[in-house]
Amino acid sequence: MTGPHMATQLNEYVDGTLAAHLRASVEAHLADCAPCRAAVAELRSLSAAAASLPRSIEPGRDLWAGVETRIAQRATWNVQRFRWGAALAAAAVLVIALGLYRLLPPFAAHDRPAGEGAGWATVQADFDRATSELGLIFAAERARLRPETVALLERNLAIIDTAIAESRAALARDPASVELRGLFAAAARQKVELLRWAARVAAS
Amino acid sequence: MHSDPTDLIHRAQQGDRTAFEALYRAHAGRVYALCLRLTADRALAEERTQDAFVRAWERLATFRGESAFSSWLHRLTVNEVLLGRRAERRREQRVVTSDDPAALERPGAADTSSGSALDLEHAVAALPAGAREVFVLHDVEGYRHEEIAELTGIAVGTSKAQLFRARRLLREALNR
Repeated sequence: MTGPHMATQLNEYVDGTLAAHLRASVEAHLADCAPCRAAVAELRSLSAAAASLPRSIEPGRDLWAGVETRIAQRATWNVQRFRWGAALAAAAVLVIALGLYRLLPPFAAHDRPAGEGAGWATVQADFDRATSELGLIFAAERARLRPETVALLERNLAIIDTAIAESRAALARDPASVELRGLFAAAARQKVELLRWAARVAAS
Repeated sequence: MHSDPTDLIHRAQQGDRTAFEALYRAHAGRVYALCLRLTADRALAEERTQDAFVRAWERLATFRGESAFSSWLHRLTVNEVLLGRRAERRREQRVVTSDDPAALERPGAADTSSGSALDLEHAVAALPAGAREVFVLHDVEGYRHEEIAELTGIAVGTSKAQLFRARRLLREALNR
């Protein structure tokens, strides 16, 4: 009968993971101990039998049909999710584009009369709603992106948000400024495009 | 006629389900054997085999060919079984004994296994879950303790302790 300490050493000896000095000591012990020699022989036989068990066992029934059904369901779900995300993203871009086009036609930019505050407020509200919807898509899908990509996206979004906040603050002081509206529009387009890209990549 | 595995993998990565089915046919027996030995439960092994292939389909794009496809698939299978076991353990306490009629019923395999191999299969199925998993991964599948520790979230020392415990219990069971 071998004790727990010896049993551990015999297992390590059989596995070839015993330190050299302990190995010599175990071999010296084995020379004088028949029960330990028998234990080593049994351990070797057991490991050899385990390693030679059949590598392959056919399942009792064909499992492919279940696999195929689940793959097909997931594919449909992915397509639906992508279409839904893409539709929201497209709608958000359209809202921004139409709003900005209405208030910032290039040919009229320098002739624009002041006093369109109500229309401009509507564009800003539409932008907030659109980016909020895209932000929700991104939040729902972000786990599918690599952490480094999410970190980079968040850094860029923070930069754009700062630009948007500064444009808004300046517009609050000078609401009729065409240049400031142009700055806001540029930052807004960047944010929508970035969120749209993130939602598309995450859903793909 | 056998298709080129690399071509099958490439086509499956492009979304070709026929190619993926061919991969399934080539590897199902190996994956099922692993699941059966890790779970000691035929119904659960079938479920985990399906889980593993569904997961493999979802993650095929991440297979870059640094290792053999079979190694990648087996590692993914071990992860699925262990994840499933943790979820299962939260739901119920599963007790497997050598009298469990579902364990290790292996249609089509009995005629190719010797009596002693079948005795060993039954004895392995009767081991406590932790000891069984480490024994299967180390002595049957050839994983190192460091790999087992990484896969299962246990310490290397615990992996060794479970292995030595499994071998002691198996020797006792087979010498009865």
